[in-house]
Amino acid sequence: MASNISGLGPQENGLSRRRFLSAAAAGVTAGSVADMTAIHGLRSEAMASELKKQNKRVILLWLAGGASQFETWDPKPGAKTGGPFRAIPTNVTGIHISELLPELAQRMQHTAIIRSLNTKIADHGTGADLMECGRVPDPGVKYPDIGAVVARELGRLESKVPDYVSLYTSTEGRRKGTSGFLGARYSPMFLSESMTPANVVRPDIISEIDHHDRAALRDVLAKRFTTARRNQAVNSHMSAYQRVHGLMASADLFDIEREPESVRNRYGSSQFAQQCLIARRLVEADVPFVKVARAWWDSHGQNFETHQELCADLDHSMSVLLDDLAERGLLEHTLVITLGEFGRTPNINASLGRDHFASAWSCSLSGAGIRGGVAYGKTDDEGHRVVEGEASAGDLFATILAALGIDHQHEYMLGSRPIPLADFGTNPIREVLA
Amino acid sequence: MRVDLMHLLQRFALIVVGCLAFTGVRAQELLPPETEVASAVDHYITEKLQSRSIEPGPAADDATVLRRTMLDLAGRVPTAREHQWFFDQPETVRRDVLVDRLMQSSDFDFHLRNSLDELLLANRPHDGEFREYLLWAVRQKRPWDQMFRDMLAARQADGVEKGAAQFVSSRVRNLDDLTNDTAMLFFGVNVSCAKCHDHPLVEAWKQDHFYGMQAFFQRTFITRKNVIAEKPFGEVKFKTTKGEEKSATLMFLNGSVAEDKTPSFADDERKQLEQQIQKLERDEKAGYVISASFSPRRELSELAIRDDKERFLAKNIVNRTWLRLMGLGLVDPPDQLHEANPASHPQLLDWLTRDFVASGYDLRRLIRGITLSQAYARSSEWAVDETPPAASTYAFASTKSLTPRQMAASLLVVIRSPDNWPALEDSVAWNKLRNDLENQAAGWSREFEQPGENFQIAVDEALFFSNNDRITNDLLRDGGDRIVGKLKSIEENSQAVEQLWVTVLNRKPSDQELQTATAWMQRENTDRVESLRSLTWALLAGPELRFNH
Amino acid sequence: MMPSDESAAALQVADSKAAAPAMPQTVKVEKTIGLPAIGFCVTQGEAATTLFVGMSDFAVHRIDMAAEKIEAIPIGQERHNSYVTGLVRAGDKLVSGGYDGALIWWNMASGEVIRRVESAHSKWVRMLAVSPDASRVASVADDMTTRLWDASCGDLIATWNDYEIKTPHGFPSMLYAVTISRDGRWLATGDKTGIVLVRDLATGQIAARLETPIMYTWDPKARRHSIGGIRALAFSNDSAMLAVGGMGKVGNIDHLEGSSRVEVFRWQDNVRLYEIEDNKLKGLVEALHFGPGDAWLAAGGGDNSGFVTIYRMDDGKLAAQEKVGSHVHDFVFGTSPDTVYAISHNQAAIIKLT
Repeated sequence: MASNISGLGPQENGLSRRRFLSAAAAGVTAGSVADMTAIHGLRSEAMASELKKQNKRVILLWLAGGASQFETWDPKPGAKTGGPFRAIPTNVTGIHISELLPELAQRMQHTAIIRSLNTKIADHGTGADLMECGRVPDPGVKYPDIGAVVARELGRLESKVPDYVSLYTSTEGRRKGTSGFLGARYSPMFLSESMTPANVVRPDIISEIDHHDRAALRDVLAKRFTTARRNQAVNSHMSAYQRVHGLMASADLFDIEREPESVRNRYGSSQFAQQCLIARRLVEADVPFVKVARAWWDSHGQNFETHQELCADLDHSMSVLLDDLAERGLLEHTLVITLGEFGRTPNINASLGRDHFASAWSCSLSGAGIRGGVAYGKTDDEGHRVVEGEASAGDLFATILAALGIDHQHEYMLGSRPIPLADFGTNPIREVLA
Repeated sequence: MRVDLMHLLQRFALIVVGCLAFTGVRAQELLPPETEVASAVDHYITEKLQSRSIEPGPAADDATVLRRTMLDLAGRVPTAREHQWFFDQPETVRRDVLVDRLMQSSDFDFHLRNSLDELLLANRPHDGEFREYLLWAVRQKRPWDQMFRDMLAARQADGVEKGAAQFVSSRVRNLDDLTNDTAMLFFGVNVSCAKCHDHPLVEAWKQDHFYGMQAFFQRTFITRKNVIAEKPFGEVKFKTTKGEEKSATLMFLNGSVAEDKTPSFADDERKQLEQQIQKLERDEKAGYVISASFSPRRELSELAIRDDKERFLAKNIVNRTWLRLMGLGLVDPPDQLHEANPASHPQLLDWLTRDFVASGYDLRRLIRGITLSQAYARSSEWAVDETPPAASTYAFASTKSLTPRQMAASLLVVIRSPDNWPALEDSVAWNKLRNDLENQAAGWSREFEQPGENFQIAVDEALFFSNNDRITNDLLRDGGDRIVGKLKSIEENSQAVEQLWVTVLNRKPSDQELQTATAWMQRENTDRVESLRSLTWALLAGPELRFNH
Repeated sequence: MMPSDESAAALQVADSKAAAPAMPQTVKVEKTIGLPAIGFCVTQGEAATTLFVGMSDFAVHRIDMAAEKIEAIPIGQERHNSYVTGLVRAGDKLVSGGYDGALIWWNMASGEVIRRVESAHSKWVRMLAVSPDASRVASVADDMTTRLWDASCGDLIATWNDYEIKTPHGFPSMLYAVTISRDGRWLATGDKTGIVLVRDLATGQIAARLETPIMYTWDPKARRHSIGGIRALAFSNDSAMLAVGGMGKVGNIDHLEGSSRVEVFRWQDNVRLYEIEDNKLKGLVEALHFGPGDAWLAAGGGDNSGFVTIYRMDDGKLAAQEKVGSHVHDFVFGTSPDTVYAISHNQAAIIKLT
């Protein structure tokens, strides 16, 4: 009894659900399909796996609050500033790290340590802005952070999985990350209250079919308005809805119960370890950038006690993560970074704490594009200053891009203003690149 | 540091052109002051269109004009009753009657309050006091220069006026923020680049200007009891790019320097005062007050108001109001009010600024004038197969993203059954309802992002609409007070569809839409109410509701 | 470092005619001396004014508090390989323990090393205690074991393994404190999570288990790690009471900003006599000693600043307290208990109780 619906093609009497969906979908772009494998279905299997190999991914282990380089990557045992912990040899001759990271010490073949960061800003907020965006904030420009840049450069336009996921489930120092002038398309999927993203589960009272059908209806009805306007915000509205079902399907990626018990046990029960497991699942599904924040390293008092706990967590979680990635053939395509907003003072205060320090500190890079088994840069005997290989936040940013095969000098145009991906005058540190 | 010659040459060319345009403007006479605001707007817009041989787009249809005007003046979409009332008015006076009616309404007050709040304290957490102050000021039609004084003075007042202090108090802990934000938001000048060196692009903005502005704020501090106070002494020192240390003078952006009437203090007197100040900053119990005989901040507000050279204070709010209503500032970006960035219609900006000052900084007059112009009421569509002219010609209306508050309020309006509104004459009921709406909208507005430059809608919003229980359980329930409830009671499908369209989109459905919607209703094995619900959802989640077009 | 071995010194105290306050009313810092490194633990030589201090420069230092010019001089040539955190005197020997897991026996007079047990513990030694007859030395470390050593020949007599290796939140735990009662019968240990075990020193059997969970703060929401622990233990002179020192609940675990906390038990009956939370001078309680007749209890510790505090043992109330300038890690009584030598971050202080 239904008459011809113009634009949707002819149909018989009545309109079954399925026909409406497929007919409606024909009138819109293919973006409403929920099936995650659809995108691979567009290409041949071989080509898909080849592309997958080339796709680089990043897992940023964000040591929020500022981890101590003395108690991690650049120990100074015996120095007045060195604290009580000793240095242990690693499986790379000549490189010693803190005794608090024994498991990582056996996996140094994947890792390059940079010991010579001098980033000057020892304030949590601005320091984090600096390290995440590779440059000092500018009131005239909202720079995108590394996650947004990687999402833009390595993500796929119609991706069914999020491009940029950021987990920050503690409250101290919680930061979402920003896509800056790249726009909301590259905003992170931000998980703060729970390890499952918000609003990705279909409400019980709507069946899956209804959920898809009404989305298709929405698209059909929205089409005319959107096409008549050529407006970036209006277009973004359309593409936001087109990404919904893909993202809903990717909700499963956050469910570690889907991993075999043996894998879960290997990671262990710490929240950070579980989030590392989620990160592995995400990069395995081609999410280009995952940030897992481990708060809160800001040990103004009891620095040694705090690092005993936090380093144990980092040591175990990251070691299992590296092993897991390597076993799945993913480590060569995944860059694993440990980084915070700054390091900690050589001076030990009266609460046996260390305070903020950005003049000589460390970070690490492992996996994709990295020459493992390298310790780049030197600090003086007591760790007060860099004596060799000084690197800025921008240099680190450029290094990360270079490891991923992204041209750090490529420019975005903001209006008529060129903005290079890495700040002017910064260079990748060649010595840590493969 | 990379040096790119091409870019430098481009910049140079821009400055030269800007200067020429600037001097050119001064030469011509402005339209007389008696001209109606709306006429002046149309005169200058049309003049430019004609000079470029551009045909403006057609006028928007009346339903669109109603919706747009209500969103811009009342902060929400119209109800069916208001729609009916509008079309009951004679065609030739419809818009005037509408605007005048809206400007008397509580909607207007709430919306202007929200707009100013979004401008002045947008991303800073603040409690209701600032908003209460704004509402009070809007309601009593307080002139903009008075409001500026209120906010800069940050007085410890009794009653609702004390909320004005939050402009300063929310920024007082960061001198750069306080300086930059005041310059940007009140004067349209983002001078922060001039902190480290003379502005690379703008001749007029040197380090002296940045630090000159900062000097007005340098003595401002906040006591432990959250009272804004000013030290009786203090100065800003800075290092020039040549490395010499300078003391900043109290210089406003137009180059005027305030006379520094700071008294001199003996060393021990100064030390004692410093101790007292420290105590005030730290000690909860310190009850005394530091009085400064000379207040740099007050000097700034005087200088800004007295400025008849650049008239930054007036020009900025004129430009920002234009931006809010027309979708693109006469000066774009709105924080670059300077010679090297000329207005698209310099004479129009000058005329409006002059009119604004002469009217006593009357925001309502300005808003009324702009919204009654022809330029305001053009269609926002342009032929699909043609490249549209630049937005700065205003040949067609812009499509604007709703603010979180506009979207929340509109959502709450459209999901009500059209029968569920008091009679238009019942102002008591309306005001109460509008008040409730404002409070409810606060909660919903948190699900939307404040639009800014290069605004994009994040997928979070689409996920929220698609999956959050509040949408289904609250907005789409089929109680008699709700739109779905109303639609349920309409037996004939095409009538129900029409009612839905009119309620949510303020227009009738097209033939195509009617067909699609009725086909939807007629699908096999579907529950009628569920179909109505999901059809409603499709419109709530659609772009037409989401934008001001 | 816990001077329950000070039988010699203590007997001197009991017999001394010097003014030992029945109940101190004031605590006053008389003099402070800068130290070349952080002092963690202190014990006394033949004379009560001769202090031996374990420090962060990996050395044991000798400080003559009665000298004209008071300075800290490292004993002998040997050094630990990390911070020296435990130090006791056994007769004419000193025994030290450190973060290197080693125990070193020293000739107290000459500073020569008698014996070095390199891997006495597999993790960081936190504290030592000595029996009053100087025959036994007990050590606790973050390998969560308590070990008992023959003080003369250095043999390992017993290893006790009754603590959980991990905290309830899954992180490596710490075993911070150990003390032996004056009558030589009881050994008490306390860990990060607030568990005290009292053992019969002769048989090794656990005689009591006490819990002070408030001394362990775990932050699940903001910072996701813990702070605190039992840092000090002391038996009363009559062995009937056991005082436990640490820190109360903390909001911001980046700092030592919790109230200082002492719990006093009549341990054999598992009765808590006092629960003392002091938020005037905050931080960790790192050392505890009972006064003569057990009329009062002295506590040392702090945040960035240090304190010495006296609590009455008849009602558990504060009797006197004073700031000491920097965090006190340990203290001992001087010739008589009206003098306290406090060792803190880069400073030694002479404190008078009156």
